[in-house]
Amino acid sequence: MKILFLIFTILLLYITVIPSSGANLSKAHRIYRISNSMKKNEKITYELLMAKYYFAAIPFAVKHLENKGKVTENFEKALRLIVLKTGTESFMNIKSKTLRDAKSNTLNFVLGLKYFERKNYKASAYFLGLIPEEHRFGPEARMMGGSSLSMAKKFDAAATQYKRCYNVANSAETKAKNNKVARYYAIIKESCLIHAARLKFTNRKFKESIDAYEEVAKKSYMWPYILLEKAWSNYHMEDYNRTLGLLVTYKYPLLKSYFLPEAEVLTALAYLKLCLWDDALEVVKQYYSIYKPRSERLKAILLKYKSSNTYFLELTKKNIRDSEKQNPFIRNLVTQVRKTIKYNLDFSSFKLAKNEIKRLNKAGKSSFTKMLVSKVQNIIKQRKKSLNWFIKKRMFDFINKIHRNSYEMFKIKIEIMSQKRSLLYKNTKLVSDRGRGSFENVNRKSDQHFWEFKGSFWADELGEYSFGLKSNCAEIKRGRKQ
Amino acid sequence: MSIRIIWIMLVIFMLHLLAGYASAKDTKEKISYKYKKYERFDLGNLEIKGSVVAPGDLSVRERERKQFDTPLLDRKDFYEEIRDDVMKLR
Repeated sequence: MKILFLIFTILLLYITVIPSSGANLSKAHRIYRISNSMKKNEKITYELLMAKYYFAAIPFAVKHLENKGKVTENFEKALRLIVLKTGTESFMNIKSKTLRDAKSNTLNFVLGLKYFERKNYKASAYFLGLIPEEHRFGPEARMMGGSSLSMAKKFDAAATQYKRCYNVANSAETKAKNNKVARYYAIIKESCLIHAARLKFTNRKFKESIDAYEEVAKKSYMWPYILLEKAWSNYHMEDYNRTLGLLVTYKYPLLKSYFLPEAEVLTALAYLKLCLWDDALEVVKQYYSIYKPRSERLKAILLKYKSSNTYFLELTKKNIRDSEKQNPFIRNLVTQVRKTIKYNLDFSSFKLAKNEIKRLNKAGKSSFTKMLVSKVQNIIKQRKKSLNWFIKKRMFDFINKIHRNSYEMFKIKIEIMSQKRSLLYKNTKLVSDRGRGSFENVNRKSDQHFWEFKGSFWADELGEYSFGLKSNCAEIKRGRKQ
Repeated sequence: MSIRIIWIMLVIFMLHLLAGYASAKDTKEKISYKYKKYERFDLGNLEIKGSVVAPGDLSVRERERKQFDTPLLDRKDFYEEIRDDVMKLR
């Protein structure tokens, strides 16, 4: 009885699902062959989307837009589905005027992103502002809109956008049907919190910015990055012990992938402000002896493949241990890239596109399917090239940061030498009578407690560390006993 | 007659000039300078007449020491990070 039921179910599936996608494809083929109607491309788009050929539908949707076809309610839904399944890149190459004239919310989102990429932040904010909050891209539009306004230095308007972004993303997160979608909205929500904190930092409201950063949960994938930003806020508030404590969190073994060259410079700067010159010089020395040569080796490896359209993408697919053997920085960078939303979205869309090609090949060998296969293959090729460029840019940006910060380290060294010379001229020296740390030197809030660091990191303590070093900046006359 | 006498006098004068130049050249070549092989100066015994204008003690004019102004790294915003967040979203 059970077997009969199973066979019946399979037959039902075969009758309903499989022929329907085939029927839609053949219907699309028929329209392509016969129709001369203005709506030809629009109709083919619908048929292909119904058969779940999202990538194959892109060229027809683009043609419909380029032929100044009307964006009806149904076509708007089709555009939204294409962007959701294949990404915004599908419509990025259409002329801005065509996108503007379409008066579509989905295309306004594409347009906003396009202007943002081109650094036209005013236009970007305008088009993203046209997207209603309840739209599928509402949360992203608020986040990107806020960013555009921040970049255009319209801080009040940006703060309003970030608040709205938080609310909309929060509600979308709770309504999400699966974990992946919920996580996506959680990231947008956290981004808006972080951006709001950055806005306060720009306005030199450091205390408020620290409070805003603390709203981001420690389990967030963006949390390791904000440690450095929080450390900068504390640095500006002259709490150098807290700055050092926040930066030491990067030494936690599980945060090994987050090597930020600027964190090393800030550590040296904090020591410099406490007049602990030997400690500052030790950080500088370590930077020059470990990180810089490692970055030179990384540069040598990457330069060999700088013109490749696939190497960097392939690197992210490799086993993480193999990457580490090649160069420790490659491992770090690959880990960071793999965690970005763009990488994950693009990667899943590649899988979708490959699946489409397989299904198209199975569907038949007609000239129409061959044309669709060739179009989808071209799209994948372009997308892979684009993702490869995205990864390559991140890697070379990292090398540039190492070099830029190497110069900053050099300046710190010069500053220490200059200050040492000043003391010599004044016939004075630093007091140097401080112990290596004391609770007295730690600034803390009412909800922060003391736990001594005994060589091991505890998850709940991460990001809460503070050093207890006393400033060594007091000067005494040379020859006097301490 | 007088022109002839003038010509003869002119020739004699020219010859005289030439002879003088030749003899002067010969005497120039013959000039040789001789210096003393050894001469001793007793500086302590020298007496110079005049008045001292420079100050007697050693002095250095004070000037402000050059302060090198090397601006150290300072973060004023996180625009780069804001842009990056958007670029890695889509």
